[in-house]
Amino acid sequence: MIPARFEYSAPETLSEALRLLGSDGEAKVLAGGQSLVPMMKFRLAQPGHLIDLARIPDLNFVAEENGAIRIGAMTTHNQVETSALIREKCPLLAKTAAHIGDVQVRNRGTIGGSVVHADPAADYPAALLAMEAKVKLVSASGERMAGLDEFLVDALTTLLEEGEILTEVHVPLERAGVLTAYRTLVQPASGFAMAGVGVRLGVENGTITFARVALTGVGSKPYRATAVEQALVGQGAGAETFAAAAAHATDGVDALSDMHASAEYRVNLAAVQVRRALEDAAGSA
Amino acid sequence: MATTTTTPELKTYIGKRVRRVEDPRLITGTATYVDDIRKPGMLHAAVLRSPYAAAKITGIAIEKALALPGVKAVYTGKDVAAVGPVPCAGSMEDLRIPDHRILARERVYYVGHPVVAVVATDRYIAADALDLIEVDYEPTEVISDPEEALKDGAVRVHPEYPDNVAFTYKQAKGDVDKAFEEADFTCEERILVPRLAPIPMETRGVVADWDEGAKELTLYSSTQIPHLLKTQLALQLDMPEHHIRVIAPEVGGGFGSKCNVWAEEALACFVAMDLKKPIKWIESRRESIQVVAHGRAHVDTIEIAAKKDGTLTGLKLHIVCDIGAHHQLLTPIIPTLAVLMLPGLYKFRSFKASLVGAFTNRAPSDLYRGAGRPEATYVLERIVDKMARILGMDPAEIRFKNFPEPAEFPFETVTGLQYDSGDYAAAFHKALDKIDYKACREEQKKARAEGRLYGIGISTYGELCAFGPSPATPAGGWECASVNVKATGKVEVLTGISPHGQGEETSFSQMVADAFGIPMSDVVVIHGDTAKVSYGIGTFGSRGIAIGGSALHLAMQDIVAKATKYAAHILDVDADTVTFKNGTFSSSAAEQTLSFADVALETHLCRKLPPGTEPGLTATRFFEPSNFAFPFGAHICTVEVDQETGETTILRFVAVDDCGKIINPLLVEGQIHGGVAQGLGPAFMEGVIYDEEGQLLNGTMMDYAIPKARHMPWIETDRTETPSTVNPLGVKGVGEAGTIGSLPAFVNAVVDALSPLGVDHVDIPMTPQSIWRVIQERSRS
Amino acid sequence: MKLKGTYAMPAPRDEVWAALLDPAVLARTLPGCKSLQETGPDEYAMQMSLVISSVKGLFEGKVRIMDQQPPESYRIEVEGRGKIGFVNGGGAFLLKDAGDVTDIDYEGEVKVGGMIASVGQRLMDMTSKMMIKRFFTALEDEITERE
Ligand SMILES: Cc1cc2nc3c(=O)[nH]c(=O)nc-3n(C[C@H](O)[C@H](O)[C@H](O)COP(=O)(O)OP(=O)(O)OC[C@H]3O[C@@H](n4cnc5c(N)ncnc54)[C@H](O)[C@@H]3O)c2cc1C
Repeated sequence: MIPARFEYSAPETLSEALRLLGSDGEAKVLAGGQSLVPMMKFRLAQPGHLIDLARIPDLNFVAEENGAIRIGAMTTHNQVETSALIREKCPLLAKTAAHIGDVQVRNRGTIGGSVVHADPAADYPAALLAMEAKVKLVSASGERMAGLDEFLVDALTTLLEEGEILTEVHVPLERAGVLTAYRTLVQPASGFAMAGVGVRLGVENGTITFARVALTGVGSKPYRATAVEQALVGQGAGAETFAAAAAHATDGVDALSDMHASAEYRVNLAAVQVRRALEDAAGSA
Repeated sequence: MATTTTTPELKTYIGKRVRRVEDPRLITGTATYVDDIRKPGMLHAAVLRSPYAAAKITGIAIEKALALPGVKAVYTGKDVAAVGPVPCAGSMEDLRIPDHRILARERVYYVGHPVVAVVATDRYIAADALDLIEVDYEPTEVISDPEEALKDGAVRVHPEYPDNVAFTYKQAKGDVDKAFEEADFTCEERILVPRLAPIPMETRGVVADWDEGAKELTLYSSTQIPHLLKTQLALQLDMPEHHIRVIAPEVGGGFGSKCNVWAEEALACFVAMDLKKPIKWIESRRESIQVVAHGRAHVDTIEIAAKKDGTLTGLKLHIVCDIGAHHQLLTPIIPTLAVLMLPGLYKFRSFKASLVGAFTNRAPSDLYRGAGRPEATYVLERIVDKMARILGMDPAEIRFKNFPEPAEFPFETVTGLQYDSGDYAAAFHKALDKIDYKACREEQKKARAEGRLYGIGISTYGELCAFGPSPATPAGGWECASVNVKATGKVEVLTGISPHGQGEETSFSQMVADAFGIPMSDVVVIHGDTAKVSYGIGTFGSRGIAIGGSALHLAMQDIVAKATKYAAHILDVDADTVTFKNGTFSSSAAEQTLSFADVALETHLCRKLPPGTEPGLTATRFFEPSNFAFPFGAHICTVEVDQETGETTILRFVAVDDCGKIINPLLVEGQIHGGVAQGLGPAFMEGVIYDEEGQLLNGTMMDYAIPKARHMPWIETDRTETPSTVNPLGVKGVGEAGTIGSLPAFVNAVVDALSPLGVDHVDIPMTPQSIWRVIQERSRS
Repeated sequence: MKLKGTYAMPAPRDEVWAALLDPAVLARTLPGCKSLQETGPDEYAMQMSLVISSVKGLFEGKVRIMDQQPPESYRIEVEGRGKIGFVNGGGAFLLKDAGDVTDIDYEGEVKVGGMIASVGQRLMDMTSKMMIKRFFTALEDEITERE
C-alpha cells in the first residue's frame, strides 16, 4: 500500500498548474486525493508527477452570478454541504453532498475531483444532472463549457482532454417552488450508492409541472431518467403517479452487476428509490 | 518511621466503573506500537506474495530488484530453508500437516502465499523492489470450495496426499439414532458460516533486532502470546530459548489473529541475524485481509430431534471446515470447540458430531473472536428456533423447557463438559423483561396485520472460556503473576497474560488497590515482555482475569501473609492477632497501626527481620484452573425488514450477559459492545468472498464490509452475576460473549420477520440483496 | 465474470468476418492494443495497455482463435499477465445475417487474478462493458470507413 515514486508540485496559480500539466505527459492533477491516492497506493495508478491544486485560491469559492451558482473545483464536499448559499439556492446539491462517504472523505474530497473521476456510483452527478449543471474546462489554449450530461462519457471516462483542468461547476439557481430530494442505498463497505436518486419536482395545484430525475450507481454512468420525467409531467402529484413513473427508472439502461448488487437488484432498487425520492420531495413542501 | 497512621475512608475499586488507565496514552498518540519503534541502522522488509491460488514456481529473477539502490538483500524460499516450519498444534490421529515453510518453495498454494522477501533502507524502496522481481508461475488447477475439495477426484491441494482431508474428528454420546427414531419431530438445516477477516485496527508488524555481541535476539511483535512465540521461535530458528526475547508493545487489537506464530516473525528474525541489522516489517491492510487467518469457514449440517412437548432429545452435526492450504497454530483445534459447545445451554440426551477439515487453495483459517463457539451457537440457536416453529411453540418457551436448573450445577453436558455454575432462566427472564417480549409479540401482530415484516429474535448462548485447564490446551493453560512491592510501597505486577485492548492494566490495578488498600495510581501492571515476566501463556479465550487474575490473587495473598508477619514483628505482637484491612495492619494487642507502605519499607530496610523470614516483599504464583468457566446470557433483537429493498433495521437490541463476578462493569460493557458489533457484522454484511479460482474478491475495505458506528443499534446491556466455582475470584470471562450471542439473535429476528412468507432459513450475511431475493422467490411461489 | 451481448454491425457478414479475423484490424481496434504478432497458426502474442481514468496496466499475453466456421462462428481464448494482475478469458462469437446488418452475438467468461481481482471488483463489470463497446465501435468505424 505504498505508491510508486512520483514528483510533486503545488503551484499557486492556475496558469502555472496548466503549464506544469502541459509539460509533463506523466502528470496528473491532485485534488482531494480521495479517489486518486487509494489507486496510487495499490499501484494501479502510477502518475509520475502530481500537480496539487490545493494552493490555488481561485479554485475554492462559491459565488452567485447570472442566475447560477458557480462552485470552484476545489470546493470540498463538506463546504458544499454547509454553504449557506448552496443550501438556499441549490438545495439538492447540499443535500447530496451530505451523503458522500464519511466526514473525513467530505473534508478532503472536492466537487471537481468527483466530477472528473466520473465514478459511475458517485453521488454528485445524480444531483448535478437533475440540476442541469455545466462544467468549465480550462487549458493552456483556452476554455470551454460543457453540460454535465455530455461531459460524463462513460464509466470513469469524461470529455476532459489531456492538459485540461476542470475549474468550475455551474449550477442554475433552483426555480421557485421546486421541491427536491436525494436518496441513496449504499454498499456498506465503501458507502458508494447501489442506487442513488436526485429529484426535482414542480407541482402547481396538485399537478406536476416540472420534473428532473437522475440516477447514479445503477448504470455504467449516472443518467437522467427522462422516461420517468415524461411520465410525471402533467400528472397529478401522488403515490400512483410516482409509482407508475418510477417503473421507468431504468428504461434503456444496462444495469451494472457486481458482488454487492446484481443488475436485477439494482433495477429494483432504482425504481423503489425513485418512487421514494419523489415521495420525499413531494412531502418536503 | 511513621508510628501512627490515620485511616481515611478508603476508596475501593472492584465492581466500580473505573475508566481505563490505558486510554490516555492511546488517545493522545503517545503509546508505542511496533511501527513506532526505530532502531539505528534499521532496514525494512516487504514481502512479495502469490497472485495465484495454485501454481508451480518455475523461476525467480531477483537481479533487477537487487540492483535498485537501497536494496540490501532479497530472500527466496531456498535462502531461508534453515528456518523450521510454521508450527501447528493439533493432535488428531489422522492430522496431516503439510510442510509449511516461511517462504514458498516449489509451489504456491493460495493467493497471498509469501514467495520473496526484500530488504531495503526504507519501506518505499522495499515496495518498489517488489515490482522488480519476476516470478515465473506455472498455474495449476485450483480447488477453492471446501465441499468440492472433499469430493472424489477433486484436484488435490497437496499432491503428496491422496485427498484433501486435513483431519477428521468425531464425538458422540447416547443413542442418537434412537432419539431420532423416537422423536415426535426432527428437522435439519444446512448452514453456511462464512470466512471472516479479523481486521484488527493495527495490522501485524515486527521489528527483529540481533545483538551480535550478546548473541541475543529481540523480537518486537504485535502478538497476543509473546512467551509462546518465544518458545516457538527457539524451535523454528534452532536457537537457545534464553537468548531470545519477545516484546509485545502496544497491540492494536488481535481478535485471535495475533494468537498465532506467523511466518513473518521467524522471517524477520532470520534476516536480522543474517544481515546483522534490525529489520522492520509492517503488514499492509491488503495483506492483512488476504492472509491473516480467516475465522469460521464452516459448512454445517445440523439435525435436531424433539418431543411434542418441546423436550430436545438429540442433536447431530456435521462440519466441513475450510482450513485453507496450510495450518496455522490452532487451525485444527478451533472447529473442535464448536463440537464441544454444540449443546449450548440445553439438556440434550444424545448427540453425534463429525468434523472434516478440508484443504483448499485459500489462506489458512484459524481462531477469530469466539473461535468455534459462535459457529456452534449460531447453528444450534437456528435449529432450535426452527424446531420451535415446527412444534408451534414460542421460541422462548422451548428454551426455558430445556435449560438445566440452577440446582443441577455443576452440570455435565452431553459433550462431556462440566458447566461450572449458571442460572440460565434468570438471565433469559431479565432479557425478556427488558425488551418487554409480550409487547413485542403484540407489536408483531399489529405489524403483520399491516403487512409489515417485523421480527423478534432470541439467542441464549453459553460460552466455554477461561482457557483453561492445561490438559485441555495445547501449550499449558495456567498463568503466572509476580507482585513486587517496592520500598516506597508502590506495587509492580508482572503478568503472563498479554492484554491488547482488554484493559487488564486497569482491572488488575483495581484488584491490587483493593487488596493492599492503596490507590490505583500506586500500581503498575507490566506485561508482554519475556525478559521481564518469567513466563506466561498469553491473552486469548477470555482467560485474562480468570486465570491471570487468579494468579495475581494468589500472589497478593502471599504478599499479605508475609507483610502480616513483618507487621506482627514490628508491633511486637502475635501474628494471629494482626488483621489487615483497608491498607492498615492493626492488632488487638497493640495501639500502634502500620500502613501497607510502612511495612513495605521495613521489608526492605530489614532493621527488624522476623525470624525465619527473608527480606523483600515479592511473590510469584502460578494458577492452574480446575476447569473452563462457562459464561452465558441471552440476546434479543427486534427488526423490521423493508420488503422493497431487503434492508433490515434493528429496532432494539438487548444483551443480558452473565460473566460471573465483575471487576469493572465499564470494561465488561466495552467487551459486550465490541463483541455485539463483531457478531452483527457477519450477520448482515461481512464475509470473505473467494471465486472458484481461489481469488479473494473483496480484498480492501472498500469491498470488505465491517460495521461502522452508523450501522450499530443502541445496545441495551444488563447482567446477572453467577460466580464461577473454578477460580478464587468467581469470574468467568466476557471477551467472546457479545460475538457469540448477537449473531443468532439477529438472524432469528430476520427469519421471524420473514416467516409469514414461509421462510425458515436465510444464510448470512443477510444483505439487503439476499433478503430481497428471498422475498422475491417466496412471493413468486 | 460472464459477458454476453449482441452488436449489430452495419456491414455484410463476410466483411465482418474478415475484419474480425484480420490481425491488422484487431491490432487497431482492440482497446489498448499496442502490438499483435502472429506466433503460429491462429496464435498471437499481444501487448495491451489498459488505461481507465488514472489506472494504467500493461499486459502481455496470448490470443488463440479456435473452432473457426467461416463466416459464422469461432472461439477466442485470451491470456494476459501484468504487474497489476492477470486476465484469462474465453468467448464464442456467432455472426448472423440480419438484413442490412450482421448481428454479432458474443458470449464469454473473463477471470481475473492478482491485484485487480482483489481491489478492482467494483470496476470490473463497467470496465469490461466499456472495453467491449470501445472495441465494436472502433471495429464499426474500421469497417464502414473501408467502404
Ligand atoms: C472511503 C471513501 C468513501 C467514499 N464514498 C463516496 C460516496 O459515498 N459517494 C461519492 O460520490 N464519492 C465517494 N468517495 C469518493 C470521493 O467523493 C472523492 O473525493 C471523489 O471521488 C474525488 O475527489 P477528490 O477531490 O478526492 O479527487 P482526487 O482523488 O484528487 O482526483 C480524482 C481524479 O480527478 C482528477 N482531478 C481532480 N480534480 C481535477 C480538476 N479540477 N481538473 C481535472 N482533473 C481533476 C485527478 O487527476 C484524478 O484523476 C469516497 C471515497 C473514499 C475514500
